Amino acid sequence: MRQFLLGFLAVLSAPLLAQTTDSSFSPKPGNSRYMIRGYADANFIAGEGEISFGNARLVPLFIYKQSDRLLFEGELELEIEDGEVKMALEYANFYYQLTPRMTVRMGKILVPFGTFFDRLHPSWINKLPTVPLGYGHDGLLPTSDLGIEVRGGAYLAGMRTNYSVYLTNGPRINDGEEEADEIGMIVPEADIDNNKNKAFGGRFGLFPFADQSLELGFSAQSAKLGDKGSDFEDIGAFLYSFDWTLVKTLPALGGRIDLRGQLNFVNIDNRPYEVLEDGSLETFDFDNKSKTAFYQLAYRPTFGNQFVQNLELVGRYSTLTTPEEAPWESQSTQWTLGLNYWVDWRTAIKIALQSDEVEGGHDSPGLTKTDLFFIQWTIGF
Amino acid sequence: MKKNPIILTIAFMIFMAMMIIGGCATPAHISAKSGAQLWGEACGRCHNTASPSTFSDVDWDIAVKHMQFRAQITEDEANKIVEFLKSAN
Repeated sequence: MRQFLLGFLAVLSAPLLAQTTDSSFSPKPGNSRYMIRGYADANFIAGEGEISFGNARLVPLFIYKQSDRLLFEGELELEIEDGEVKMALEYANFYYQLTPRMTVRMGKILVPFGTFFDRLHPSWINKLPTVPLGYGHDGLLPTSDLGIEVRGGAYLAGMRTNYSVYLTNGPRINDGEEEADEIGMIVPEADIDNNKNKAFGGRFGLFPFADQSLELGFSAQSAKLGDKGSDFEDIGAFLYSFDWTLVKTLPALGGRIDLRGQLNFVNIDNRPYEVLEDGSLETFDFDNKSKTAFYQLAYRPTFGNQFVQNLELVGRYSTLTTPEEAPWESQSTQWTLGLNYWVDWRTAIKIALQSDEVEGGHDSPGLTKTDLFFIQWTIGF
Repeated sequence: MKKNPIILTIAFMIFMAMMIIGGCATPAHISAKSGAQLWGEACGRCHNTASPSTFSDVDWDIAVKHMQFRAQITEDEANKIVEFLKSAN
């Protein structure tokens, strides 16, 4: 068997060996090149009567560089969920460099609303095994969408800045037809463009310090949410967000701190909603404003031996408040505390405890507490 | 909510004007930064910095161009970073 395998490998490698010894082979690289990157993770979850090896994901990122100006990137997400392999296109877009400081991208893009999803969503970058409130199921915030964006870096008054301006198909509103108790809720990921209106938004980031350790950002997005021709057609939404990032090695603390957060506001035009419940028509009239935030601090020591320096402590506090009097009214808070061990710069084993408190909500009124324990092994490649 | 598109349009115009005006010259303290310094600042903002030995010269060309677009760094900064990575791998 071993001989057979060796023979098989020799046959497979023969063309490669022939190519590398061929005198006509030129080591000079061309301009057109591609690369497979991405990440993978394996997860264990315990709590609330569940102890299981949960989700496992493979998220390949295909990058094709056609020239110094033109590049394509596309990321798939393959995951095991409820016993089935599910696949999703996270993003797929072209980049074209217009000037040395300005790039246009088009396709399914990561929406630059704040920094979390655009920059931090890969599990080898996200310092905790979970995402903050406001993303994921019942999420309010844009993640990825079909559209076009102009982005880049620039300088203003001696300071480094970055900017993004985009047009996307935009979010929609839950009209209550499928889930009556979610009527009036924004649905950020609209797979189908439901109207002619496009979401228009952008982000501006500023680095006040010369060492670029601190970044302050502001994002905004405006969109019409309703289906074309529906009663909700004219309902608009205005979202805005503040984000901050401070990454700095502080000798006084004997380590490197990573402080970041994002404060988000989702304001939707007010109007009464009618829902048919138990055969009778119920009217909900509420101030359709929600807000969500996360505050995260990580610390990685620079003292001690290599084992100690590979450790990282992380804490995150996250909140989500949805409109009073809405059928989906809730107030949620979440604490997540984690300890990471960095095997190398892109491979980590993370353990975390997460405690959620939800008051209200369409799933179960009253106060609900959930404590979960996670182990995640992640690698970026 | 009808005012929002107007506000955003004005913001966009101010923003573009600022890019044209402010994007002209690189401040001296930034242009004086080395590739190694920019590599630490730009990459470390989101994730641990990659070892230069992670990729070949050819792969660094792709990876850094990709990150130029993703991390919103300028072409000058990206060129400095890739030169450093190639010299150190």
